[in-house]
Amino acid sequence: MTDREDRLRSLLDKVRAKRPGERETHAAEAVDRIRAGSGTMAAAQETPLSEPSTSPHVESPTRYSSQPPRVERPLSVEPRARSAQPPSRPAAAPSQSQRPASIRAQSVAPTGQPVVYATDQPDFPRPKTFGELLELTLSLRPR
Amino acid sequence: MHDGRFDPGGFYEFNLTGGMIRTRNGERVVVLSEDVLSSLVAAAARDGDLTPLRRLGELLGEQVLASLDRPASVLSAEAVLGHVSAVTSLFGWGRLAFERWGSALVVALRDKPELDEDELGAAALLGGMFSEISQRQVSCVPTGDSKFIMVDFEVAETVWGWFKDGADLPAIVGMLETKRAS
Repeated sequence: MTDREDRLRSLLDKVRAKRPGERETHAAEAVDRIRAGSGTMAAAQETPLSEPSTSPHVESPTRYSSQPPRVERPLSVEPRARSAQPPSRPAAAPSQSQRPASIRAQSVAPTGQPVVYATDQPDFPRPKTFGELLELTLSLRPR
Repeated sequence: MHDGRFDPGGFYEFNLTGGMIRTRNGERVVVLSEDVLSSLVAAAARDGDLTPLRRLGELLGEQVLASLDRPASVLSAEAVLGHVSAVTSLFGWGRLAFERWGSALVVALRDKPELDEDELGAAALLGGMFSEISQRQVSCVPTGDSKFIMVDFEVAETVWGWFKDGADLPAIVGMLETKRAS
């Protein structure tokens, strides 16, 4: 072994002797950072629990009401139009833009009767005049 | 006449200087207390002569006819009732209304003066009034509860007998049927 090799070996030993400490230092710093970070996270998690005003339960009704109302459910009783669809058709419901249209169509023309039926004037009997009422009562005779 | 309604304004003309009261048609009228009138009517009913009350009814009928712009026979029952009830009220004979019981026309006279127990005085008054209005011989027969069924004078005695035998108005109407004059 030459002198040069001896110097290199001694330097390497020095380096090996120094690095574990450095690793511990970096590890300690990292642990400190993690602890600091986890402490912040824990505080953030505890805040909603300790303040009821920000509780998600308060917002729940608003959220539910903002969901699409289930007005389409009555359509399930319409005569076989949807149930007759082939089973291979996707089970996904029709789009939101189609549902109100079908509802309106059912409510506007439910029976398909001609409008003339609704506009026909019934024949109300003409009110009797006083003379006609008098004629009736004066015509009464014992049975 | 105003819009087909009876106008009670100026119906009576009080002449204090002359000591007279006249209707706007010129008939002289006399104000009587109910007690006095009751005695007179009771006496007339006992004697079987209610002609004065029938005559008074005819005078009321003349007042009604004078207020109509058309014959009563062509008017609605409501229109005629408005004029008849107004004149009846102005003479203090109570509140008058029409009722229909099947084909029968019934006159109800509420809050009328208490004249005689059988209500024959009021019946004579109503008969005279509606005879004048319709220009027909009309009889108003008492059927109890201040109601009078309007019938032809030929069947009045029969209907009156039914009532005296205990028949109420629904029973009386059930014993009558419509028959056209031959």
